[in-house]
Amino acid sequence: MSQPPTGSRFVLEGVVVRHDGGGGAPINALDGVALAIEPGEAVALVGPSGSGKTTLLSLLNGSTRPSAGRILVDGSDLTELSPRQLRLVRASIGTVHQDLALVPNLRVSQNVLSGRLGRLGFLASVRTMLWPSAEDLRSAHALLERVGIPEKLFERTDRLSGGERQRVAIARALHQQPAALLADEPVSSVDPARARDAVGLLRELSRERGLTLVVSLHNLDLARSFFPRLIGLRGGRVAFDAPPAEVDEAAFEALYELADG
Amino acid sequence: MGDERPLPIGARGAVILAIVAAGAAAVPWLGLTPGSLVPSDGGLTLVGEFLVRAASPALTSEADPVPEGTPPLLWRALAAARTTVVFAAAAMSLALVLGLVLGFASSSAWWADDLRGRGRLRRVVAPVLTWSSRTLMVLMRSVHELLWAVLFLAALGRSPTTAVIAIAIPYGGTLAKVFSEMIDEAPRDAAHALRSSGASPAAVFVFGLLPRALPDMIAYSLYRFECALRSAAILGFFGFPTLGYYLKLSFENLHYGEVWTYLYTLFALIVVVDWWSGALRRRFLA
Amino acid sequence: MSAARDAEIGRLWRSRPRSRFARASVVAMLGLVAWAWIGGGLVPSELLSARRLANLERFLGEVTPYPLQGRTFDLGVALRWAGDLLVERGLAAAATTLAISVAAIVLAAIVGAVLGAPAARTIASPEPWLPDPRRPAAPVAFAWRGLVTGSRAVMIFLRAIPEYLWAFLFLAMLGPTAWPAVLALGLHNAGILGKLGAEAAENASRREPQALRGLGASRAQVVAIGLLPMTLPRLLLYFFYRWETCVREATVLGMLGIVSLGYWIQDARARNHYDEMVFLILLGAAIVLIGDVVSAVARRVVRRAS
Repeated sequence: MSQPPTGSRFVLEGVVVRHDGGGGAPINALDGVALAIEPGEAVALVGPSGSGKTTLLSLLNGSTRPSAGRILVDGSDLTELSPRQLRLVRASIGTVHQDLALVPNLRVSQNVLSGRLGRLGFLASVRTMLWPSAEDLRSAHALLERVGIPEKLFERTDRLSGGERQRVAIARALHQQPAALLADEPVSSVDPARARDAVGLLRELSRERGLTLVVSLHNLDLARSFFPRLIGLRGGRVAFDAPPAEVDEAAFEALYELADG
Repeated sequence: MGDERPLPIGARGAVILAIVAAGAAAVPWLGLTPGSLVPSDGGLTLVGEFLVRAASPALTSEADPVPEGTPPLLWRALAAARTTVVFAAAAMSLALVLGLVLGFASSSAWWADDLRGRGRLRRVVAPVLTWSSRTLMVLMRSVHELLWAVLFLAALGRSPTTAVIAIAIPYGGTLAKVFSEMIDEAPRDAAHALRSSGASPAAVFVFGLLPRALPDMIAYSLYRFECALRSAAILGFFGFPTLGYYLKLSFENLHYGEVWTYLYTLFALIVVVDWWSGALRRRFLA
Repeated sequence: MSAARDAEIGRLWRSRPRSRFARASVVAMLGLVAWAWIGGGLVPSELLSARRLANLERFLGEVTPYPLQGRTFDLGVALRWAGDLLVERGLAAAATTLAISVAAIVLAAIVGAVLGAPAARTIASPEPWLPDPRRPAAPVAFAWRGLVTGSRAVMIFLRAIPEYLWAFLFLAMLGPTAWPAVLALGLHNAGILGKLGAEAAENASRREPQALRGLGASRAQVVAIGLLPMTLPRLLLYFFYRWETCVREATVLGMLGIVSLGYWIQDARARNHYDEMVFLILLGAAIVLIGDVVSAVARRVVRRAS
């Protein structure tokens, strides 16, 4: 297996993302964010909804363009890349989306294998999706085994439970052979009892593969107990960036306080 | 719409009122008097004779004497049904290709934004492609298949292929329009996910977007196949050897039993396709 | 290790959920298309024979407006030619075409309501909108079921036979008035609107009708007060969609001898005046476009209002 030796390194410099608020003044989803995430690091993004967590993740995987500032992934500036180069960077970053974003009427194997499309040409993509090789299937089966649902390999995706679907989404991201794993609110698509398992699994997988892991979380307890570094976002700005021990209750509470005035 | 005072009857009421008014205006313009609805004496006997035969469609030729070399009636009906199905199936296959290509080209989904706003090619080519294919689609489907047939008859003369093309053009335009709407309305989450994992626009379209629209597209195509059978049957009125041709001939020869045989044959074709698409939809496409 | 995994994958593949029916359907469809092209006597290359190409060339020459044939193009002459055609036949025929489509769709809505209501299982049952609380007497239930089946069968037959065929039959019985066209379009579309209406009625929420029923409302009252307002927006959308096809078909029905646009198209065709024929076909396309636009506007109004 051609595992990259270390995970991706992300650097954000003065990043601003502006959305056109419906008819009114433009809203800054992110407002001057600067941070660096080192290879193999595990980071939790915490903050209330609307604080910019999802936007930050979509910047990291190259699907949102910053209105100002720079995003460097392993040293290359995403806004400067050609579409082809950008696709290569995207292919190296696996994302588990909040709504999972699987194709419900395809088989689980096809959804997992679709993770590799970024590395394949069009004809090879068609082949993988319609007539997967034994090697493809072995790899998909091994990944499903790792996330605990190997027997679902050829099941139709929409027949699975929410938790099982999340595992398919994780397997798809891993099949990309990424250098970094991003997960947007992985807790929201499973019931609370499974939430710990889901976050724990992401943490384990990225540790054993040496991936950089960035997870956005509502749940502060989970963030505290699984991640050595927490980044608090509030109103599109970094409120704190520190190990859990250095973040006290007051800092958390300040994150969720209503903005005044 | 916002804070305007609502009309006393409401928008829906206005629409219904407009329909009623238009209907009321159409009746005198067309001279639709109840009197002209009653057939003349000759017409009345014809109606009677014709309707009576609904219960006893002909099983053998009604011509007397049967011209030499005519195949048996049921054989003729089957052959006509076969031609009808051939025309419909060939036309649909052509229309599907047209519909997929044009629907793909005119859907805005596949060239949706990329991270760099700089893809010059995509920026210029995509809108041009979209609008030219939309114009083409409108032209194709606003001319009825029978009129396409008339045009081809005048331009090229009669040939089974012209019948197939005449059906395929408007059907292709309609499929393209409906397909592009279905693709544009399909959920985009999986497409976004594939895009963010580096998949090319073509792969995103084929594996992220298309599968989500596919059940609706299949159901609609089956419905259009049913319509194509009807259109193919009607083309018989212009001399193509489908059900319509024999039906018209029998009717003009006053062989009403035969007319009903052909009508029931067409009915059976439609019902089979209807049942088939219904069964598929119930099982998979719900 | 790898062998064990392959064996396991093989086992999962063999036990995968699959449908023989879907597979057979795909094979049948592909087979049908292949058979149509190979065994159906279609020879596309024959279209390019020298005789046909000569015919095409002649046709293209005759499509040029008559006063301009063999002369240099003159916009004024062309416009006068088109204007004369419009005034003589085009505009009146276009108006008739539209009138036929409107009268037909209104008729279709009325007949469709009459046929569609008894085809909805929620309405046509011994205990409407209730999931059979006590089994009613067998003959009563049987009669209602018969009504549902009967009205559905009539509607299937109406929509299985194409408009053009209905018009042909009516024309022979009623003579060349506008009635054959209106009846043909009206009945065929009644079959379609009735089916769609019955489906809309069955899929509508049962709560409001049940509540009204509990207050002692009659079947007809429940339909008028409870069901109709809920389903009306959807019914109106179907109404306008079908009206669009009515416009399209009304043009063509004229070719049977009813004075819509198709009549003059057929007339020009019979006289080999291909310039007029093409012009009138384009006029027909324009009417279809106008119909589509009017329908789109009306549908938007309906959508916004609901």
